[in-house]
Amino acid sequence: MRKMMKTIDARGLACPAPVLLVKEAVDVGQATEMTVLVDNEPARENVARFLGSRSYKVTVDTDGSTFTLTASGTGAGEVAQPVQPAAEANDATHQKIVVLVATDRIGNGDDELGQKLMVSYIKTLKEMGPDLWQLIFLNGGVRLSLRSSPVLSELQAYERDGIIVLACGTCLEHFGLTRDKAVGETTNMLDIVTACQLADKVVSLG
Amino acid sequence: MLVGTATADDAGVYRVSAELALIQTVDFFTPIVDDPYDFGRIAAANALSDVYAMGGLPKTAMNIVAYPYDTLGPEPLTAILAGGAAKLHEAGVVLLGGHSIEDDELKYGLSVTGYVHPGRIAANQGLQPGDGLVLTKPIGTGVINTAIKANLASAQTIVTVTESMATLNKLAAGIMANSTVSACTDITGFGLLGHLAEMLCGTGTSVTIQAGEVPLLPEAYTFASMGFVPVGAHNNRNFRENMVQFLPGFDPVMRDLLFDPQTSGGLLIGCPANECRRLVERLRDEGVSAATIIGYVNTQQDGTITVVEK
Repeated sequence: MRKMMKTIDARGLACPAPVLLVKEAVDVGQATEMTVLVDNEPARENVARFLGSRSYKVTVDTDGSTFTLTASGTGAGEVAQPVQPAAEANDATHQKIVVLVATDRIGNGDDELGQKLMVSYIKTLKEMGPDLWQLIFLNGGVRLSLRSSPVLSELQAYERDGIIVLACGTCLEHFGLTRDKAVGETTNMLDIVTACQLADKVVSLG
Repeated sequence: MLVGTATADDAGVYRVSAELALIQTVDFFTPIVDDPYDFGRIAAANALSDVYAMGGLPKTAMNIVAYPYDTLGPEPLTAILAGGAAKLHEAGVVLLGGHSIEDDELKYGLSVTGYVHPGRIAANQGLQPGDGLVLTKPIGTGVINTAIKANLASAQTIVTVTESMATLNKLAAGIMANSTVSACTDITGFGLLGHLAEMLCGTGTSVTIQAGEVPLLPEAYTFASMGFVPVGAHNNRNFRENMVQFLPGFDPVMRDLLFDPQTSGGLLIGCPANECRRLVERLRDEGVSAATIIGYVNTQQDGTITVVEK
């Protein structure tokens, strides 16, 4: 197949004009290589996003005032399926669960067993899926948020997934552990009360 | 004067007596949909919204028209005014008159006057730590209107976004009037986060927004991820970025939607957490189906908006 080159000068245009011009070019021709000139940041971002959504590979150069976007691909109109955010995708079934953890071990009987159970519980919480909203540590539970926590990497992964991990500031201070916290944000009682009130379900341990 | 220009409120409020305050507002713009009747409905819903957002009842209105008679002829104008009149009728508002001029570019809107009890004003400032934040309409009209220009929006999406913009905030405001509310604004040109920033500005109050809870219009996310984002969203973000903290790695598409300029958007209502869920239930029961708790006032007291994913 012959290479089709196309240059679009969209300098001096504000959004959405540049992206509309580029869409028109992609829709009519089978351009495999395309150069788009824009002179503002929103246009750069939107044009790059559009070309990306049509499966073009995009590189960007700038001389300070003009951005040059170079795109290559089939331009066959293969629209990549965008990821749907939670609000659009599973509105109906989605609920908000707050888990309050006020101890670093589960139950009475044997402390060593209790600690193992807690590690297992925190690891297994991911089975709640998108319903798990906030994980709040109080009293002895704040030990699970420290550098030495046996579930540190799990909690960090939860945080990366957008789950809110909170540790009670008064509790950390009481134990002199404020500096040792390695995951989560510090919180206070009013924020905890508010979260529990807005939640669909609160699970309390210890 | 009870509410003036200092707080970027939705409308001005003037106390007439101990029992009565006057609300005045004006809003007009260029067409955002092709159908003239729908444009009239949307412009009227948008202008009336400022009175509802202050907790008031609109009573009278005046049309404002700029119109190119020579190029368009009289029919579209008749349809626009009929659309506006239909919404005024629904709101129980009397049209007293108006003013029109010749202009190359079509513009339509209204000046609306309403009443409120001086003790029942829902100003845009007054959020308290522990309040939940309730949004009554989905967002994304700016992005979808951009996609309509690119002939990308489906017929179904065009109908949905048109009806959302033409929906009065009357029902939501009526329910709000019977609830304990700390503050309220309507979401328009500055986008969700822009108007939220106005609620916080100068107060030291801080809020957390749960992006995953924010209701979106159909296809809004898809179009934003394809780059159909109006320049207004970028301007809104530049203007208020210093007040907003996105967690690292936050989705830039969702970020743009949160700043997307809205036409005739919903109400954003602050309400004590213990009343919040009941308020949402009442709104949904009565037909404000998008009503959702999208965040809460936290105790940071540094005047910032923290945006988390869920």
